[in-house]
Amino acid sequence: MPQLLDESLWYKDAVIYQLHVRTFCDSNGDGIGDFRGLTTKLDYLQELGINAIWLLPFYPSPLRDDGYDIADYTSVHPSYGTLQDFKDFLTAAHNRRIRVITEMVVNHTSDQHPWFQEARSSRDNPKRDWYVWSDTDTRYQDVRIIFVDTEMSNWAWDPISKAYYWHRFFGHQPDLNYDNPAVRQAMWEVMKFWLDIGVDGFRLDAVPYLIEREGTSCENLPETHEIIREFRQRIDLAYPGKMLLAEANQWPADVRAYFGNGDEFHMAFHFPLMPRMFMAVKLEDRKPIIEILEQTPQIPPNCQWCIFLRNHDELTLEMVTSVERDYMYDEYAGDKAMRINLGIRRRLAPMMENDRRRVELLTGLLLSMPGTPIIYYGDEIGMGDNVYLGDRNGVRTPMQWNGGWNAGFSTADPERLYSPLISNPVYGYQAINVDSQRRSAHSLLSWTKSVIQTRNAFRVFSRGSIEFLNPSNHRVLAYVRRLGEEKVLVVNNLSNSAQAVELNLQMYKRHIPIEMFGRNLFPRIGDLPYLLTLGPYQFYWFRLRRI
Amino acid sequence: MAEESFLADDFLRQLMSVGEVDLLVGIPSHNHASTLLQALHCVEETLRQNFVRERAVILNVDGGSTDDTRKLFIESSERRDVAHKGLTSLRTIHRISVEYDRSPSQGLALHHIVAAADLLRARACAVVSPGTTNLTSNWVANLLRPVYREGLDFVAPLYARSRFQGLLARDLLYPMSRAVFGQRIRELYSDEWGFSGRLATQCLEKEVWQEETMRARPEAWMAITAIGGGLKCGQYFLGPKPASPAGTSPDLVDAIRQTVGNLFWCMEINEPQWLNRSSSQPVPTFGPDHELSSDGVPASPEKIFDLFRSGVNELEPILASILAPETHAQIKAIALSDRLKFHFAAELWVKTLYEFAASYHHSVLNRDHLVQALVPLYRGRLYSFLLEHANSSPEVMETRSEMVCQEFERQKPYLVERWTTKH
Amino acid sequence: MKELVIQGLRQAYDNLVHMFAEFLPRLLVMLVIIVVGLFVAYFLKTILRALLHVTRLDRLSEEAGASRFLRMAALPSMTELLSRSLFWVTWSGFILIGISVLGVAGLQEQISRLFLLLPAIFVAILILFLGLVTANFLSRAALLAAVNAGYPAPKLLSWSIRFVIWALAISMALEQVGVARQTVIAAFSIVFGAFMFGLAIAFGLGGRELAREFLERNLGDKKKEKYEEPQPL
Repeated sequence: MPQLLDESLWYKDAVIYQLHVRTFCDSNGDGIGDFRGLTTKLDYLQELGINAIWLLPFYPSPLRDDGYDIADYTSVHPSYGTLQDFKDFLTAAHNRRIRVITEMVVNHTSDQHPWFQEARSSRDNPKRDWYVWSDTDTRYQDVRIIFVDTEMSNWAWDPISKAYYWHRFFGHQPDLNYDNPAVRQAMWEVMKFWLDIGVDGFRLDAVPYLIEREGTSCENLPETHEIIREFRQRIDLAYPGKMLLAEANQWPADVRAYFGNGDEFHMAFHFPLMPRMFMAVKLEDRKPIIEILEQTPQIPPNCQWCIFLRNHDELTLEMVTSVERDYMYDEYAGDKAMRINLGIRRRLAPMMENDRRRVELLTGLLLSMPGTPIIYYGDEIGMGDNVYLGDRNGVRTPMQWNGGWNAGFSTADPERLYSPLISNPVYGYQAINVDSQRRSAHSLLSWTKSVIQTRNAFRVFSRGSIEFLNPSNHRVLAYVRRLGEEKVLVVNNLSNSAQAVELNLQMYKRHIPIEMFGRNLFPRIGDLPYLLTLGPYQFYWFRLRRI
Repeated sequence: MAEESFLADDFLRQLMSVGEVDLLVGIPSHNHASTLLQALHCVEETLRQNFVRERAVILNVDGGSTDDTRKLFIESSERRDVAHKGLTSLRTIHRISVEYDRSPSQGLALHHIVAAADLLRARACAVVSPGTTNLTSNWVANLLRPVYREGLDFVAPLYARSRFQGLLARDLLYPMSRAVFGQRIRELYSDEWGFSGRLATQCLEKEVWQEETMRARPEAWMAITAIGGGLKCGQYFLGPKPASPAGTSPDLVDAIRQTVGNLFWCMEINEPQWLNRSSSQPVPTFGPDHELSSDGVPASPEKIFDLFRSGVNELEPILASILAPETHAQIKAIALSDRLKFHFAAELWVKTLYEFAASYHHSVLNRDHLVQALVPLYRGRLYSFLLEHANSSPEVMETRSEMVCQEFERQKPYLVERWTTKH
Repeated sequence: MKELVIQGLRQAYDNLVHMFAEFLPRLLVMLVIIVVGLFVAYFLKTILRALLHVTRLDRLSEEAGASRFLRMAALPSMTELLSRSLFWVTWSGFILIGISVLGVAGLQEQISRLFLLLPAIFVAILILFLGLVTANFLSRAALLAAVNAGYPAPKLLSWSIRFVIWALAISMALEQVGVARQTVIAAFSIVFGAFMFGLAIAFGLGGRELAREFLERNLGDKKKEKYEEPQPL
């Protein structure tokens, strides 16, 4: 396995592409994407410009929660191939200088996992204590239910062992008991297994919920951080350069704790920022973005936020006020079928009403704001969704490669596909696919490639500081990214109408703004406020050069 | 040659930054450093709670404050909601501050407000005064909501008053404007009111803003413009009318000059609108029509009668040029009556006012002097009222007020006759 | 003798005829000048009237408040007033020129003097007019203010103001036309000074209480209002 350069902060410079192997490409005609198929598409991903892939769970699982209910941590679901297929994929990715991040669902397993099967078999089983049991369902009374649409309680009755077991997610996903050192050791062994194969990092799913204590919310408890620190220490010793990414859907101040002193997670998702980016565009007001970023605390220098627009889950509206949630529902999810679990189960393009300008604006924001950006598969071509597929499957439809048979995803009969294709005239695979967009230098795909390329060429985006300019026109979001002498001015028009804005660039007097896509010179910055005009949803990236 | 614009560049620039809004709240100020923030926070609370999704701007128009009024406005920040991790409102509540002149003028202030409303295409607007010490967020909401949600174009406030408060409004301004313009708006002259962007645009186009009579009390003109333009007016009950702190409210002479002078002028410029109108109509009213509380009689009303009597005496030549001979004779007669038996009948009062209005129209003398000449007569009427109603209940006083209104309407043909014929 | 008388009479008759013969053309010229002057004056009046209509002088005058004064003085509108003034000034000029053509001894000199005086007379009339209007206005304003504020003797105050302004205006007008300049100035100074002195004594001694109250009211504790008037609005 070729060794990648040991750039220990590689995750800061990453542009991560999130996908589920099942959705990407089917090589054996069974209607389900697999690793061999995925391997054949690595050229596409390399061409796109991304340099890391985040794979959703591909482990053996009853698939009642799209693979997050894991029945075997150290294998590959047969539908997706074999362990060797995975290793081949990993090698091919590394050959293209693409890192691979996999899921580590640490909080819970499937009830089909052998650990749970053993634990439930009897109260005396050695693995009994690997899960959280109770004779009543009254413990941890005030803890919130996460899947409010489907679960009535955080306790489920096990008829086999005649006791309740604790589950923060679906009832078939019992929570592991991290108070038990054996559990921690077992999970470490799992991590080691994959790290030995060569995986570059893990996204730890549902980390806030590892520990339970009476009288608390059972979220973000201090003991959780001890566990994380332990994992991190072990990884740093044995596998330097590997990365841990936290999935903690909390307010920024609460997520901050998961970075520790640079000794816990390397990265964490900035959940509250994401809905506010959508809100800002609808409100035509930068306020939601500015406010949440003003509240975002500083993090250790070796840590990084992860930012994203959409992902495999619903667009979560947990970390917003009720007023904001109602607004988002009304504006983006008028049809109740679009709503699930305090969120919106739609893709980027449909939420933007297929408005190419808005899609570009949001993508531009994603790639220019501080943090490591994650692109959800299909968003680079503007794929649509199907809100009637149940759960969050509407945003997990097959990748659309061409306008032909099964969108080029699989040679199987269409009825055999793991999920129906999007086939309506607007977002259907005949209209939206990789092949047709590749043929045009002006397609969304081509545009996304060029933006990623521009971003990758300047480290200031991935590692630079941010200073908001706050011009008097609230429809314009403007900021300067800075890393050493490298300065980039980003100006975004969040509104549907042309805007004029005067920017106070006194600090950059005598600098020449050079627009980064066309590379054209703009008037030098002088004493007066710098006047710019922007078309609807237009944005600029300027390098500020002093020559 | 291009006409000079009254909008300063800086103001225009601030408007450009705000862009289109749904709501605009204007706060005229002059040395209101002690009360401005309270008013500002009331407005913000209204917008945060009642108009969550609407685009809004708060506009402070300052008339040359020498204290920190403007600075306080500009530097204050939006209150943070601790319950929600310090987040504030959904949208930015914009704030603009402009100094419109070196000395206060409500007319100029309103001119800037309607210009802003027009340029920003605001749907609903309100003007509130930082001098109103009992202003609440409900008041602001009650002025905006009927415009924004019910489609009204002008919303006047309604107040709960003490029995002897606001008699100029209750005994002259309201009944006369009701009879003349045909709409029963009780508080045409107030410190807070609401109006639509549509009305703002219409008002902006009128060439009256430089008139002296618009300096102090432009709000009634706005309502009358709405009536004349066929737009919908209404009124909303707000709460108790605050008593002005000592030394801050205009004295009686100034109050009459500003309001009655303005009313006569409105009659002058809107003549075609009211000459042929014969009756009045109620307007949509939200909340109680008004309320009167049972407070005591002011001290020493005898002095008021003395001023009336001396006024009638000293101003005889002036009054002779304004009033019809019979009316003048009647007034001289009652001025000679015993103070304890004094009575200034409604019929005579109405006749007097109509003759004043007609004389104003015919410019028999300087118009401001003419209006000032009304002051002693008003005092006589006031004294008569105090004498008659020292112990009357609010209900009785209200019945009497309605009778006065009807007397104004009954004598309207007389007004029309005096107005159209030069005597 | 008879022949001398006849010769004398014939001579006188000849002189008379000669005088008439010399005078008649001048008379005719004078009449022509006057008639031409009438037409010129009328023409200029018409032009000026049209010009002033175009520039909307009447409206400006209304806005400036001058029209009100004219109405009060029973004068026509500003446009009409100026047009007619121009007519009369022009025609008067032509009349005077015509008269001067007659060549009547001494008359020419007087006419020249009259011409020289005309501007001063005009200004004096203007000063008197303005003085009258101002006196009227200010005295009435003072009367109203005093009555409404409850000050005692408002008529005295009003008349005082009227008198002062009248005196000033008359003095200025007389001084303008040069009538007994020194006397007028001296008389005005004496009368005005005496009047003010009298007022000072009257108010100073007799109005001590009033002065005290005035100062207290405006510079002292405002709570000491004599009476309470209900809040009008």
